[in-house]
Amino acid sequence: MGSGFSALLVKEFLQLLRNKQLLVILVITPVVQLCAYGFALSPEVKHLRLGVIDYAASPVSRDLIAALTRNQVFDLEDSGGNETELSLKVRDGKLDAGLVIGPEFTRTLKQGKRAKVQILLDAVDANTAGITTGYMIQIFNNFTSEHAQTQVGVDFVDLDSTFLYNPGLVASWFFVPGVIGMVLNIAGILVSSSTLLREKETGTLEQLLMTPVSSAEILIAKIIPLLVVLFINIGVSLSISMGIFHLPFRGDPLALFLISLLYIFVVMSIGISLATISSNQRQAMLISFFITMPVITLSGALAPLESMPEFFRNLSLLNPLRYYIVCLKGVLLKGVGLDILWPEVLVLFVFAAVLLSLSASRFRKQMA
Amino acid sequence: MRVLRRALAQTQKELFQFRRDPLTVMLAFVLPFVAMLMYGFATKLEAKDIPVAIANYDSGKFSRDYVDCIFASGQFIPITWSGKHVLDPLDDSEAKATIVIPPEFSRRLKQKQRAEVQVLIDGTDVNNARIIKNGLLALTESYLAQEGLPQKRSLVTPRIRLWFNPGRKETLHIVPGAIALVTWIFPALLAAFAMVREKEQGTILQLYASSITAFELILGKAIAYFCIGMAVSAIVILESFIVFQVPFVGNPLAFFICTVLYVASGVVFGTWAGTRANNQMAAVQICAMVGFLGSMLLSGFIYPIRNITYPISLISNVVAARYYIEAARDAFVRGGSWTAHWYAPVMLAGITLFFLALGVAGMRKMQLSK
Repeated sequence: MGSGFSALLVKEFLQLLRNKQLLVILVITPVVQLCAYGFALSPEVKHLRLGVIDYAASPVSRDLIAALTRNQVFDLEDSGGNETELSLKVRDGKLDAGLVIGPEFTRTLKQGKRAKVQILLDAVDANTAGITTGYMIQIFNNFTSEHAQTQVGVDFVDLDSTFLYNPGLVASWFFVPGVIGMVLNIAGILVSSSTLLREKETGTLEQLLMTPVSSAEILIAKIIPLLVVLFINIGVSLSISMGIFHLPFRGDPLALFLISLLYIFVVMSIGISLATISSNQRQAMLISFFITMPVITLSGALAPLESMPEFFRNLSLLNPLRYYIVCLKGVLLKGVGLDILWPEVLVLFVFAAVLLSLSASRFRKQMA
Repeated sequence: MRVLRRALAQTQKELFQFRRDPLTVMLAFVLPFVAMLMYGFATKLEAKDIPVAIANYDSGKFSRDYVDCIFASGQFIPITWSGKHVLDPLDDSEAKATIVIPPEFSRRLKQKQRAEVQVLIDGTDVNNARIIKNGLLALTESYLAQEGLPQKRSLVTPRIRLWFNPGRKETLHIVPGAIALVTWIFPALLAAFAMVREKEQGTILQLYASSITAFELILGKAIAYFCIGMAVSAIVILESFIVFQVPFVGNPLAFFICTVLYVASGVVFGTWAGTRANNQMAAVQICAMVGFLGSMLLSGFIYPIRNITYPISLISNVVAARYYIEAARDAFVRGGSWTAHWYAPVMLAGITLFFLALGVAGMRKMQLSK
């Protein structure tokens, strides 16, 4: 590798930096995507619109309503005054929940008996409805301890639960590592395929072949600048995650660097293979849609892997992004290192080795 | 009339060109079909079969019964773990929670004393962390009832009726959103491609030279991709009925009108993006970014709109998918009177007209500048 190679390297760097569109993909995309996912998606159950019909109208029933609205889980809205109106409002989506307290509520409680209340819950959003049900039961339990006239007793098995890694259950901490991987995936494939395809489209690849450098050197000179810019991409993503969303970085930076290096090789190889099978940038772009969409959907970036049906969960085992996101969450949130993540890292290594040798051989064949 | 005839000539040419490119045809029909399958099946939030590790330091009968009770419901499945520390199964993501039962558990319960159980839950999966906690609390209650052990008596018992979706099937919630996502992005992309292609291949100059006006050109292209968009929409809606077994319970006419307006809004947005972008790469970037961010994140597709942080939540008011998802949920799940969401078709029509006007204006400016 003589001066020819270094000249080639300089050329590749300059070419990459001159392309404004690629810089947008590398820098602006992570900013926009991370902010959008981090601020827009949250599974929290808060501010549900609740309509109440209180036939009991006593201090106790009002206390029950206050208990429901206290933690901002429910916001009190106009109920329409009677049960028919209330059900209509829930049906039309104007209310998320309705509560009917019967006239005998106060009396039953005073006698130390169990009082029933009726709840209508809009369950279109199955997930929210499930969590809401759990909340309600907890709120009613607490209410009982505060208002019981008689002995209510205590639970004999006391469950003391702790949320690890993300004690405040901050929603963005779930999405952000996924988005970092997703953005790297999209940017890596697009940028690496387009740098090769531009040479192909303009016909300058043949000119490169006539120079004294070997085809391996041409490929390496292409890869090094890509490595640098993709690491910049990760750096931008990480700084936003930590700066705006206060994502913790609990693990070893060196481990993250190594894992990311492996994953960059994976996406770069996919990009290079893409460039060898398509004849222009448009085609590559379209084909990349067919790759990116399933890769992202089946990666666990948006919805947890455990929730997927078995077929798709097994399919996701073939998805390199899945392993990268597990590693990102491991290093950033859980603070674990290679000693625990080695199975994932090994899989990523195999992916990188296989895909890289495949794409390099395809590239060479096309040059020959 | 002349306007329409010239526009339709443009439509015919566009559809002919579309048919000739197999990759675009695939993008138009195969990818939406596959995307729908993936979103419909794989976007599940609530985990079933949650892996749980048990660290039982008690050897009595009570703790064994307790563990049996936890796994009897089928919500949780036990995992065997060999590590030393109770955190190990969580660290290497084998389990979502570890339940630690202390050594004196059975003895204390036998002596009618309170026993404490520690639960460590992986908080990285925010949604399921809550579900796991609620689930374990409920199972503990049922264990106490089953064993006849004292438990806190709740004096208020809610009788909860889950409306529209009593089985809490997540497909009913996700499918309308997935329909909205798919029927917007792909037609928009194709329309943008068509506009940019004329520019990249230079054929747009011939169009400038011809007598066709900017409005006729945009209208012609929009009609072509509107037809394709409606076909995509028919495919994914049929798919929802057949594959996902979603019922139709709403007002067909209201839903049809909303679908027409929604597909139109996507196509018109695509043509506008095409007039702005200088090459196909940029066109894809604009459509994919706006499409995915808007239809997926700001539309209530996955999580409720009210959870979006202010002021970003304001943007969701102008996202077409948001209104279409409401209409689709009415049609497939709620079945309420469509008048409750009368604003949905109005907003969709407004968004369509807005981007149509922007596209025509953009086109005129381009013609003048050349």
